[in-house]
Amino acid sequence: MPMDFSYKETWLHKINPSLKLLIMILLFIHLLMIHNTNILINYMIGMIVLYLFFTGHPWKRLLVISIPFLLIFLTSSTSMIFFGKGEITWAKWGLVHITEESFFRGLHLGFRGISFAVLGIVFALTTRPVYLFYSLMQQFKMKPKYAYSFMAAIRLIPLMIEEMQTLHYALQVRGVQGERGVKGFYKKIKSYSIPLLSQSIRRAYRIAVAMEAKRFSNRGNRTYFYQLGFSKFDVIFLCYLLVIIPLSYVTATHFPYFSITDVRYGS
Amino acid sequence: MEKGLKLTDILVTIIIALIFGVIYKLWGPLYGVVATLGLHLEQLIYGMWFIAAVVAYLIIRKPGVALLAEVAAAQGEFIFGGEWGVATLIFGIGQGLAAELIFAAFRYKRYDMLIASLAGVAAAFASIGIDFYYGYIGDLALWNLLILFGTRIAGAILISGIFAHLLVQALEKTGVTNLVRPATKEDYQALG
Repeated sequence: MPMDFSYKETWLHKINPSLKLLIMILLFIHLLMIHNTNILINYMIGMIVLYLFFTGHPWKRLLVISIPFLLIFLTSSTSMIFFGKGEITWAKWGLVHITEESFFRGLHLGFRGISFAVLGIVFALTTRPVYLFYSLMQQFKMKPKYAYSFMAAIRLIPLMIEEMQTLHYALQVRGVQGERGVKGFYKKIKSYSIPLLSQSIRRAYRIAVAMEAKRFSNRGNRTYFYQLGFSKFDVIFLCYLLVIIPLSYVTATHFPYFSITDVRYGS
Repeated sequence: MEKGLKLTDILVTIIIALIFGVIYKLWGPLYGVVATLGLHLEQLIYGMWFIAAVVAYLIIRKPGVALLAEVAAAQGEFIFGGEWGVATLIFGIGQGLAAELIFAAFRYKRYDMLIASLAGVAAAFASIGIDFYYGYIGDLALWNLLILFGTRIAGAILISGIFAHLLVQALEKTGVTNLVRPATKEDYQALG
């Protein structure tokens, strides 16, 4: 992970995190109901605009992060393109059977994968986990013991990464040689995961004991260091979606890219 | 006694889950690379995405842990910028529930390799169910769909059944699991 992770705060950062998460989930469900590739492409462009211009992260980082998107496109689409059902055959080599239907269905899955990836990465890049859990406690009444456990656990991850590095050096210094094959791989995984897991469990246990010793409790009427509410940025976000989504439908009807309007088999 | 999971259980579960959350995140690109080989070979390693539920349950052995762990791991993968975005959360909930159901069906009394494998298979079925909507897998040629089923279930047994169980067995030798497990009958007998 790059050490310098500075970014500019944009309006996407200032949206209420719980609301953002809820909208992401609703968009996910909505996206699953879109079977028309034309709409999906417009929708995807709308999301990519958010990613490219409003996350406040530098271009270089955005570019590096977007490399796996291509992979997502390939992994989501290839098996459907090669092995999907369809009538109008385009090509056939052995088991591979590309038809017009399977090709467009695969393409649709690829675009869908990218849309989810972009939405997810926009959320990840513009939401601080601490704010998310504070907001979940305040807006969605998540129990503090869950929220604080999450926040404590997230804080421990850098420690674990450091520990892993130390383990690596320790094994090196003792001249531990990796064996080949499946057994060697298993041994290697074990030599890392057992110390990491056991140390983490011990640490988590100690933290929990310390929290309870300091009277951490589950009562509802607690005070919060960060107060999170709603603002005009939530309205801006909603308005953006309320423009983009109908627009993607309208442009898909009037200026379609492909003539296929439903990629499911038999429709 | 407080009902449900205590703070210790939750914190330990979530830490374990987030470790796997990091692995889940790293598993994404690996899955992508294997997938380019074609013929669903990638499904053999899909089982890794069910492991958090099983490992956390085998360590803590309490109701609710499997679901919490799987959701937390998925949430972890999501906030670390996983490639599948929110989809991860939905799959996490489905898979966690499926594994939880298996453990509940045995009244949270069994912790062996078979139950771990069963939970893995249940999680695999849940993920396949979601994939019917998410990946239109019902529109794959039948032979191909069957390969997908077979390899995903085999992967689930291998990774989240057998491997998870071996991992927890090794972890038991460190004594750390005694910290978090509820006291058993043998413990009370040892006292008496």
